[in-house]
Amino acid sequence: MYSMYSSCLIAIEIVSATLAFILAKFMIKPYQCTGESRYIGLPLGFVFLGVSYVFMGAALSSDSFPFVQKMRWLQLLTQAYAFAFLAVTYYFSKQTPKRSTHLWGQILFSILILGVIVSCLIVFVPPTFTLPSYKTTDKYFRGFNIIFALYLSISTLRTHASKPCPRTILAPIGYILLAFSQYSFLIWSLDLSESAFVGAYILRLTSLLVFLFISYKAFSAHKAKRK
Amino acid sequence: MKIYGDLLLIIEAETKRGKIILTRIQQKAHVPFDRLKIYLSELKELGLIQDEASLKITEKGRQYITEYEKVTDFMKRMGLTYRL
Repeated sequence: MYSMYSSCLIAIEIVSATLAFILAKFMIKPYQCTGESRYIGLPLGFVFLGVSYVFMGAALSSDSFPFVQKMRWLQLLTQAYAFAFLAVTYYFSKQTPKRSTHLWGQILFSILILGVIVSCLIVFVPPTFTLPSYKTTDKYFRGFNIIFALYLSISTLRTHASKPCPRTILAPIGYILLAFSQYSFLIWSLDLSESAFVGAYILRLTSLLVFLFISYKAFSAHKAKRK
Repeated sequence: MKIYGDLLLIIEAETKRGKIILTRIQQKAHVPFDRLKIYLSELKELGLIQDEASLKITEKGRQYITEYEKVTDFMKRMGLTYRL
């Protein structure tokens, strides 16, 4: 029963990771088309999101406690950085492109990339200080993820509200679902609510499917329209 | 990238109307006339238009327009702002 349950969870993580990596292929197009580094956070965010799901899947598939701990820490870090990359992208996309904003954007992205490398190294190379409790850190990180996801939701909602259009409502819905998914995971970590746990996965998968639908409508459906 | 895409779309729209008038393209693109000449020369170098006089969009130009429209539509749907 337990192995069926964990197999189910591993399958969900694999599906989530696959969706996130597929989305990253679409998310890189704004950067490729415009050549502007402020849009690089979009594919990076979804890549790190996918990587975080891979780490969680790895943690669920193993019995070795040290390995599981490392994978869980990596999952925590990569997911937080994913949301950070996305938030920074949306923040700088709204700024008027001047040399100074361009420079700040590059500095911030560089700091984030350095942060990812250093924090992942700390997981493998034991530091002189002891790492904090995973459970406590998990709650704080979920809190940060919720804040970032809410910023993304508000940012995209504002863009939609400035020029209401049916095409632009889906992105805020996707980010709101991601925010609620993080919130559900937080509730589960606090009181081990089964419904919060299941709900978190459902919300996550739904949000990824919303983004996939947006990508499909923009690229495949557009091709048909031009013909 | 954005100015190339915008110019090609304007040229395409003007082509459908019949006669292409440079000043009309300049007004729609909101660029100074001398800058417009430079952009048109760059479009020709990139193979996106045939020449600066006829302003006929090449097949490569049409592919560029399609790709440009897809990406700008995607950015709009994702709530991303694209400012020059």
